[in-house]
Amino acid sequence: MEDIITLDKVNKTYPGAVPLHVLHDINLRIGRGELVSIMGASGSGKSTLLNILGILDSYDSGSYVLDGLPIRDLSENRAADLRNRLIGFVFQSFNLIGYKSAMENVALPLYYQGIGRKRRNALAMEQLERLGLADRSHHLPGELSGGQKQRVAIARALVTNPSIILADEPTGALDSHTSREVMEIFRELNAEGMTVIIVTHDPGVGAATNRIIHIADGRIVDADGSPAATENPDTDV
Amino acid sequence: MRIPLIDHEIWRETITTLAHNKTRTFLTAFGIFWGTAILALLWGGAQGFEGIMRREFAGLAANIGGVSSWRTTMAYRGFPKGMAWELTIADIDNIRRLAPDIESSSTINWASVDVSHADHSKRSQIIGVEEAYPRLNTVIINSGRFINASDIAATRKVAVIGRNLANELFGGEEAVGQQVQLAGISFMVVGVASQMGEASIGARVDESVIMPSSTMRQAFNQGNTVHFFIFAARPGTTPTDSRDAIMRAIRLNHPIHPLDDDAAFFQDFSEFFSIIDKVFLGISLLALFVGGCSLLAGVIGVGNIMWIVVRERTHEFGVRRAIGAKPWQITAQVLCESILLTTVAGAAGVCFAALILAVIDQATADPLQGLAGFELPFGVAVSIIGVFILLGSLAGTLPAVKALRIKPVEAMRAK
Repeated sequence: MEDIITLDKVNKTYPGAVPLHVLHDINLRIGRGELVSIMGASGSGKSTLLNILGILDSYDSGSYVLDGLPIRDLSENRAADLRNRLIGFVFQSFNLIGYKSAMENVALPLYYQGIGRKRRNALAMEQLERLGLADRSHHLPGELSGGQKQRVAIARALVTNPSIILADEPTGALDSHTSREVMEIFRELNAEGMTVIIVTHDPGVGAATNRIIHIADGRIVDADGSPAATENPDTDV
Repeated sequence: MRIPLIDHEIWRETITTLAHNKTRTFLTAFGIFWGTAILALLWGGAQGFEGIMRREFAGLAANIGGVSSWRTTMAYRGFPKGMAWELTIADIDNIRRLAPDIESSSTINWASVDVSHADHSKRSQIIGVEEAYPRLNTVIINSGRFINASDIAATRKVAVIGRNLANELFGGEEAVGQQVQLAGISFMVVGVASQMGEASIGARVDESVIMPSSTMRQAFNQGNTVHFFIFAARPGTTPTDSRDAIMRAIRLNHPIHPLDDDAAFFQDFSEFFSIIDKVFLGISLLALFVGGCSLLAGVIGVGNIMWIVVRERTHEFGVRRAIGAKPWQITAQVLCESILLTTVAGAAGVCFAALILAVIDQATADPLQGLAGFELPFGVAVSIIGVFILLGSLAGTLPAVKALRIKPVEAMRAK
């Protein structure tokens, strides 16, 4: 299977009085169309890894190739452009803009692509319909339930037709029933061919994915906590 | 690449954002509205105040001086100091002959007598003048004519009476052509007059009777005495420049010490006008200073609100950047919001001030001289808005640029 994400010996250190080496020689391959979870305790480095995967943060050494594009030393504008086109973000706290309606929130990434209002609203409506929220399109986030908000956020992540969906604790703010619904949506998206990467510390969420990547102390490890046996984990279909 | 300012999508986004954040929009807009309104009011108010003050002195020629007799302050040729003397017709003739820089002049005599017509009587000031008097202190002729040279030469018993006095004596009737009794002597009314400003020499024209100086001296037993001599100095000279010549002319007929300049009471009204000019300059500078301070306070206020707004929106900016907003797009958006807000609120403030100024202008209008000039020149109004747009946008954009230095992830954590 074709790799959509290739990390090669990626290191990240946060400078400071005591420099914090958060990622050690991370090697990671994720194939196109995978549904993967990255699991680890807080402080394990999983958030940093997510930020690097999401082009929200830089790394010090190694290499990162996303959908064939080397991600290295990007300008702010180029990084913003790649985030917009390649990555759909889903956050724990939804991160919807409170004064914009569901449809406007979903359409916002298209605004930054320079797409006209009529077309982006039509595309946004398409995604809201896909997620069963057509009747909520003119509601403000404050008028929606947690599950509905997260579905709006997923619609926003999908609207640019990205290469990957990056979800950061997408069920962290939801009850167990709604969590299952959201995970079901991710599974459906994956079934339609979307690559989905979920960062979580919730084993239930991890279990709902097809592959779990464990991370501890900045290193990728096996499920039992021992260093990963191979640099190229199974990418079975 | 989108070009801000002409991209209607950015403006639509801007209007949506402003419309959805009503409290914040209102607070910022009110700060700008108030700042521009105060600045515009100060400017227009200073103009109008100056207009009102100038109106008080309207009609009075700016380059005039006056002389009247006083007491000697030095002993001379056996006469003790403190001797009283009187200005006479002969002195005036000498002055007119010897002082080259006097352009026009008039003698003035005063008396206070009962003025009556039919059953009406009123004690009034009488002013005896020469035909040049209106050139020194503008007299508005409401009907009839003013005193002329042949009235003076022929010592005619004619009078110009003040508008208010005419109303009291004649009611609604036309006064011109009628007779009035001044201390029992009949005079023919040839004109009704009023004065222009508030400042007057001797008495208000509206309440007085004006007659030929020659007639006055004769009818009221004033002999050759002249109470006051008023003159306009030739352009390029001041009344004070003529003082020495005037004193020399007076000394020809009076035993006044050559160094005793204080024996005559000499007034230079042009000095007074130059003081008034300085006062207005002071008022303008004060208005400018206070206006500048209010401008500064306004901009700091706007900047303060913008600062809070940007802090509040750090999270929003983080989200927008995570989903693909480039830093300049965020900056452009904040800039557009600032410009739109400042333009609308600033224009409203200036319009509000213009409205208030117009009301004040109408309320203080003078029936004769019209409006005082409480108004805001268009250029000034535009400049005030322009300065606010510039400073307001700067005040809004600087914190935004600073907020953009924070990485999107950290910005999203700020809540």
